[in-house]
Amino acid sequence: MALQPPSPQSNVPRNDVSNVVDAMLLENQVKWVGIVYEATVGGVDRFTVTPYIVDPT
Amino acid sequence: MISRALFLLLAVGMLFGCATQKMSGDQLARVAKDWSLSIRASQIIPVYPLTEDLQPGDVFLVQTPVEEQVKVYLAKGFLPLENLVTRLSPGGYARFYRGWPYVADGDKAPPRPWQFPKEDSPDSDFSRAPLAAFPTYNFSVSRSGGLNVAIPVQSVPVGLNLLDSASANGTITLKDAFTYALPARTMYDAIHQWCRDNAYYLSQYEPTESTADGKQAANKFYLRVINRVYLVKAVDVSLFSNRGFGLGGSAGVPQPVQLLNIANATEAAKQFAAVNDILSNASSPAKDAVGAGGEGASQPLAVGGTVKLAMATSRSVSLVETFRRPLVIGYLASDYAIEARGKCAAPISTFSMLEGHGASAGKTIEYLGCDENCARIRPWIKQGTNQQKLEAWLEMKGGAIAIADFLTGDYAGLRQHVVTQLIEAPQ
Repeated sequence: MALQPPSPQSNVPRNDVSNVVDAMLLENQVKWVGIVYEATVGGVDRFTVTPYIVDPT
Repeated sequence: MISRALFLLLAVGMLFGCATQKMSGDQLARVAKDWSLSIRASQIIPVYPLTEDLQPGDVFLVQTPVEEQVKVYLAKGFLPLENLVTRLSPGGYARFYRGWPYVADGDKAPPRPWQFPKEDSPDSDFSRAPLAAFPTYNFSVSRSGGLNVAIPVQSVPVGLNLLDSASANGTITLKDAFTYALPARTMYDAIHQWCRDNAYYLSQYEPTESTADGKQAANKFYLRVINRVYLVKAVDVSLFSNRGFGLGGSAGVPQPVQLLNIANATEAAKQFAAVNDILSNASSPAKDAVGAGGEGASQPLAVGGTVKLAMATSRSVSLVETFRRPLVIGYLASDYAIEARGKCAAPISTFSMLEGHGASAGKTIEYLGCDENCARIRPWIKQGTNQQKLEAWLEMKGGAIAIADFLTGDYAGLRQHVVTQLIEAPQ
């Protein structure tokens, strides 16, 4: 049995986006990661980070 | 009068036969694509050519990289099913179709009880199979430009010739459609067991990296596991001529379809019978091989079916094509990447992937921050073989969740266990 592919994560603060992306890319199937700005809460930019297995474009 | 009609029908039939043989490779490719695009619109992956021999549990080895598969799928409209590796026979039909009559596991698992209900007869009886329904598809055909949309059933060219028109619009209705499946979870267990049992065989397909000199491209293989199929027993085709009569018409000579005008009911009935007799005889290369089971006017086509004329007027014709047994027209499946040492990865829906819904499986989860244990685990993963240790632990005790989900998702308890059992305990 193998691990499940990573799920998209919402509400990721700017300073931890790189670590979340890094963890998602530990899964070999993940070839692309989308980072979409959500909102700024309390002066902190928040993003949704979405892993993709095929080219989403 | 009847003999003249028969002669004209046979003549246009032979003309069509010659034209078909001259179809170019491009036209044939177009046939596959247009048909497949219609089926794809129903949210299933088309099978081309149609086949009876495809069922849940069939496992195909797919060599094309995912990105290339998408390109092939978009270009051709369907995916070639390359190498059939094995046919899994997982139990579970009896439980999945609990209470459904005559559904069992083992030798009596679907589709056999519907496919061959009597041991001494090749005729099927899918009346107890789960039903499916498809929308009506519109298409156009043109004799001059080849078939603008082509269907892998014989009714379309036959109807076009009956109309004796250079072009026509039409509709095709997939009647008597059925479906059956096994749940994805059952397939998941079955394919992973098969992967474990055949790791040595699969290891020859483990992924390879591209070489620095570019002589060898990166390669990745997948196992495509079918878990649902859709079958069709009968196809209705209606064609409507959008021009005047085309080839062969001359003043004073009645066209074949004119002879079928139902204004004269008695005469029309004879004409219908005569035309159906021609159709059945003209399209029954295996007539003698079938034996006495078939009716006189219902001899099989190459795929074991019949074409019958249902209605005809001067500008329209309707035909019903019935296959001897239902044929699979589409399927749903999951792809499992083959990893190092022949290990099978988690499944990805083939259809979602091909249609460009490429996001990883699972709903969006909320980032809950990197707590104290997450902060300890992150650098630890980077050391030595700790990532493999964590993956093995998550597979055994963590529900096989992804590391990214585990680190910043709602899994504080699991993170505590990992710190206790993997980081602190060995010291």
